Amino acid sequence: MVVETLASLLGLAVTMGTPLLLAGLGELITQRSGVVNLGIEGIMAVGALVSVMVTLATGSLVVGFIAAVVAGVAISLIHGVLSISLKSDQVISGVMLTLLGTGSATFVGRMYFDGSPRVDTFSNVPIPVLSDVPLVGSAIFSNTAIDYLAFALVPAVWYFLYRSNLGLEIMSVGEDPATADSVGISVSARRYLAVLIGGAFAGAAGAHISLTVAGFWVAASSAGRGWIAFALVIFAQWRPLYILLGAYVFGFIEAMILDGIQEYLTVFADTAAWPVMRTLSDPNFMGMYPYLATIVILTVVGVRARAEESRTAPEALLEPYIREGD
Amino acid sequence: MNVETSLEYRNETPRWLGWAVPVLTVLAALTVGALPILLAQTDPITVYLTMFLDPLTSDYRTGQILTRATPLILAGLAVYLPLKAGLWNVGAEGQIYVGGIGAAVVALTVDAGIVVLLPLTLLAGALLGALWGFVPGYLLARWNANEIVTTLMLVFVAQNLNSYMIRSVLPGPSNYPYTETFPDTAVLPPLAESGILSHVHAGVLFVPIAAAAVYVIMDRTAFGFETTVFGSSQAAAEQSGMSRFKIIVVTMTIGGLLAGAAGVSQAAGTGGRLSEAISPGYGFTAIIIALLGRRGVPQVLAAGAFFALIYVGGNAVSTSTGLSTAIIDVVQALIFLFLITGEFFKRFTVDVRVTRDTAEVV
Repeated sequence: MVVETLASLLGLAVTMGTPLLLAGLGELITQRSGVVNLGIEGIMAVGALVSVMVTLATGSLVVGFIAAVVAGVAISLIHGVLSISLKSDQVISGVMLTLLGTGSATFVGRMYFDGSPRVDTFSNVPIPVLSDVPLVGSAIFSNTAIDYLAFALVPAVWYFLYRSNLGLEIMSVGEDPATADSVGISVSARRYLAVLIGGAFAGAAGAHISLTVAGFWVAASSAGRGWIAFALVIFAQWRPLYILLGAYVFGFIEAMILDGIQEYLTVFADTAAWPVMRTLSDPNFMGMYPYLATIVILTVVGVRARAEESRTAPEALLEPYIREGD
Repeated sequence: MNVETSLEYRNETPRWLGWAVPVLTVLAALTVGALPILLAQTDPITVYLTMFLDPLTSDYRTGQILTRATPLILAGLAVYLPLKAGLWNVGAEGQIYVGGIGAAVVALTVDAGIVVLLPLTLLAGALLGALWGFVPGYLLARWNANEIVTTLMLVFVAQNLNSYMIRSVLPGPSNYPYTETFPDTAVLPPLAESGILSHVHAGVLFVPIAAAAVYVIMDRTAFGFETTVFGSSQAAAEQSGMSRFKIIVVTMTIGGLLAGAAGVSQAAGTGGRLSEAISPGYGFTAIIIALLGRRGVPQVLAAGAFFALIYVGGNAVSTSTGLSTAIIDVVQALIFLFLITGEFFKRFTVDVRVTRDTAEVV
């Protein structure tokens, strides 16, 4: 029984981890360029709505998914214009984008739909051989194409950032924009690109929530996952591989919440540890974990940075770039 | 032909831009906001007339403006004060939630007369809010943990904690998303028997107290002066012997306390109980309010009252036209959007130079 429970939890962890992974990888690229985008939650809300509208209109899940990605790019452009061209405070612009995205998605969705429209979902594609591994195989290696795509994007993003010229240029404008500028790299162009890629990823994350997790549209369906994705980037200390790890850890926490992990623990109800266990496994209590973990990581990093002068955040994060003498 | 644009910092913002930006911001936002309203096949002019005039026509709705302005202004001040020190408290929303939690725990577990219980309820909420501001302040001052991230994370910690308290610790009647009603001895009473003030609870009195306190601290004390200096240049402030640690921790803690008071007012006043919907995002609206009111406390008060009008008017629009209340968020976000755009023109002048390629004479 325990193994079966674990297997189903792992499967759910992958499903719930995917939107975090997608949005987290996108935000990673954005932040590596020196721009923080706090609008992920709003972009995901738009992606979740657009994916359902377009899927229902065209009858194609793939077209719906792509439309959400395009919508994500479009809405993140607002953040690009404000924070890159107009040198606005990135925090302010991002919070605004969340408000704009969630507000308009709710407004348009409620106007366009009567209630919560159902929509088809991506079906599971079992991977041959691997999915035949007893118990765990069917849970982890029998997911949707989007789950695999998100997984495959981890090495792709790593390669893009650390091995491609464009990726290295994006990272250079996030570390030292003045120097990058002096060797002829357009700071604005690289930052725009990074913000738009982040928007595409967040749009995809929103689509995944509608087209894989839910199977219908409802207002505020991203339910704070955009904020968890933001937390994830800091949790992972701006490293792609840790984003993967963190996404599935946070996904696992969400899976435990959805699955009602507390029920399985009632076998310990007679032990002295039960009051503590009951609290720690409470669904609402568990909802705090990703955020608390992020605060802890941030603090630990701060403590260590004092000791050994190490630094993981992009140097020019949050700073608009204004060329000297302009 | 080449078109070159370059940006230059303005040495000072022209006077007319100082007032033109807020006015144009609101006008631009309302113009663009008309598009989704038109899409919904509703007349934007009727919508805006309802939004801005309806709230002033009934005692109940006018009272509502005062009631809603209370948490908005308190949370606005909670963002404003740390902002003076150059710090972003984006966590006022969470501080509102814990303010409500603190109030609820005392109100529902302590048995005492109103003279004891009500002050204790208010104090518990305000102090828990202060703690929610102190922690990010301390983590920033001591370990350099970015306050934007920590205050934001604590919003969601607070929201989940609130749900936990309501569902598991102080459960209300039959699993509704709120606690039992507070005893009368822990509720902020209405200000009058009849008239507009009968729709307004005593929590509204927090506003003049808080506004006066923030004004005095910022404009009349050495600490306020130090905070302002620190906000414009950390290096200069530290060189002249001001304590970075003190400024950060104190401003963030007072900020948390103010937003905590907003939560108290929501729970012990507006709701009379702790609810999962204790704030429809007042703490985030507070960021816009602080930004609009960056010049001083009176401006924060005005901005807070304006957004209270939008909230109450938005609800009136929703009732009379059937549009979703999300129109409130859309209009707010658009005001926000154009406000940011306007800030740009206050800070920079854009220089456009057009030059022609002259044929080189060999």
